[in-house]
Amino acid sequence: MAILGGRPAARAGRPPTTAYRLSWRILDALEAVAARWPARAEGAVKWLLLGPALAVVGLLVFGLVVMADASLRVMDFRTYQLGEDYSTANYVRLFGWGAFHATLWRSLLATLLVTLFCLLLAFPYAYALTRTASARLRRVLLVGLFLPFFVGQVVRAYGWLVILGQQGLVNQALGLVGLGPYRLLFSYPAVLFGLVQYMLPFAVLMLAPALAAIPEEIERAAASCGASRGRTLLRVVVPMARPGLIAAALVVATLTLTDFAMPAILGGGTNDFLANLVHDQFFRTSNAGLGSAIALVLTLLGTTVAGLLLAAAGVGALGVRGAR
Amino acid sequence: MAGGVALALLLLLAAPSLVVAGASLTAGSIVQFPPEGLSLRWYGRVLEAREVRDALLRSLEVATVCTALAVPSGTLAAIALARWRFRAALAIQLYLLLPFTVPLIGSGIGLMLLFGELGLLGRVWPVGIACCVINLPFMIWAVAASVNALDPELERAAASCGAGPVQTFLLVTLPAVAPGILAGALVMFVLALNEFLVSLLLVDARTVTLPVQIYTQIRGVITPDLAAVSTVYVLVAAAAVLLLDRLVGLEIFLRSR
Repeated sequence: MAILGGRPAARAGRPPTTAYRLSWRILDALEAVAARWPARAEGAVKWLLLGPALAVVGLLVFGLVVMADASLRVMDFRTYQLGEDYSTANYVRLFGWGAFHATLWRSLLATLLVTLFCLLLAFPYAYALTRTASARLRRVLLVGLFLPFFVGQVVRAYGWLVILGQQGLVNQALGLVGLGPYRLLFSYPAVLFGLVQYMLPFAVLMLAPALAAIPEEIERAAASCGASRGRTLLRVVVPMARPGLIAAALVVATLTLTDFAMPAILGGGTNDFLANLVHDQFFRTSNAGLGSAIALVLTLLGTTVAGLLLAAAGVGALGVRGAR
Repeated sequence: MAGGVALALLLLLAAPSLVVAGASLTAGSIVQFPPEGLSLRWYGRVLEAREVRDALLRSLEVATVCTALAVPSGTLAAIALARWRFRAALAIQLYLLLPFTVPLIGSGIGLMLLFGELGLLGRVWPVGIACCVINLPFMIWAVAASVNALDPELERAAASCGAGPVQTFLLVTLPAVAPGILAGALVMFVLALNEFLVSLLLVDARTVTLPVQIYTQIRGVITPDLAAVSTVYVLVAAAAVLLLDRLVGLEIFLRSR
């Protein structure tokens, strides 16, 4: 056999190109199976496609049911088991529990303040984003919004620890000129600051489409009628952007009210929110019943606010326009 | 003026990421200002530190499980919702949005109790399932946008050329919505890599994920090796944003709905 002749199969040449390809055979087999599908069960196809997603979310629903069940049982601290009988004792206890009230008010006040600050700051950001003539500036501002979204809360809180900590960059810089060190962290304002910085991208993303929908001609019309720049913003742009402002406020409010990481990391245990209280009930005092009760109250609070958001933004929030 | 405020805010948004990246490059053994000089030695330390490396591998497993579950379930659901009429369409949409309306602490505790009853706590893959549960609407969103942009005439054309339903689905519908699927998969993967609270509730000391590992370590002394790990996150995030921009274009988020 000639050394350069190659293998016999190669010499025989490839099979003729008219041969039926394997991938076609597989497709045909699949079509044959699909054709066997009874016409009566045509309607079942869409449910089969939807099924896996319904099942995934079903886990969440199951979890909430288990949580509601646990919240109605009292922890027996001799055995560390939840009792057999249902009672509302956990909720009654919440009602008269000072620490719960203090935490609830702290969370609610923070929600109010963070929402206000976020709206105030998100407005100019979203305005610049939607009105700038410079494509490069718009790109930079957009990337600036999405990058923190993907960096995650823990890493961002860690960044603030490095900047604001007792031996952090700010205190070291102040130390060079003979000032400080100041205690900048583990306080209520520190938690609020971290939350505003964390929620800002969400607020801008909810607000920007509303601002983009306002034609610039309207602003120019107001100006040509003699309205000053500030008056145009206050009397024309802000009222027209109301749906976006409401949506932004509700998103920021739900996320702030139920936040865990910022109070835990930047508050250092001194300024806990409700979610931290839930965590402590499970992992410090091992009271699954009471913890579930707080978690359920918080879930109801948060879901109500989010429900308002859906009502305001209209359904179709999944971006599905429906069958055509 | 708005532009100036926006740029100042941009700096505020970027500050933690920039500082973390800067701190990771220090040659000294503490994070300080001004830095003691440049070096990559803390990145080497991360590769040697067993705890951090294992946590990173676990987080990758979580993100993989999450994406592997989210891609088929989210894609099929988005296609079904866009192409078929459902009698209870409104109820189905509200149900599928539950992961966004229920606060994370509620979903987390619920899944923790449920997985506890099923004996799944303390393993890594259930955390991936949980991440899929809480972020699934993102996947459906991303694919739905692509399906809505797809002209149904294309599918009808394929059918009239003799393609069966399976062939049409695999060779016309799926490739057309592929950018949406990729974008959704990317978002699910990165968010699962970052997921903190739900991880914290579901893991035990032997199965901590990377965000939980960072969280436990920053309560002690702040050392540059954590900054190195965190910088990996910043880089992953930057790559994700660039990819997302390529796939769907970030400007899509400015359009009014």
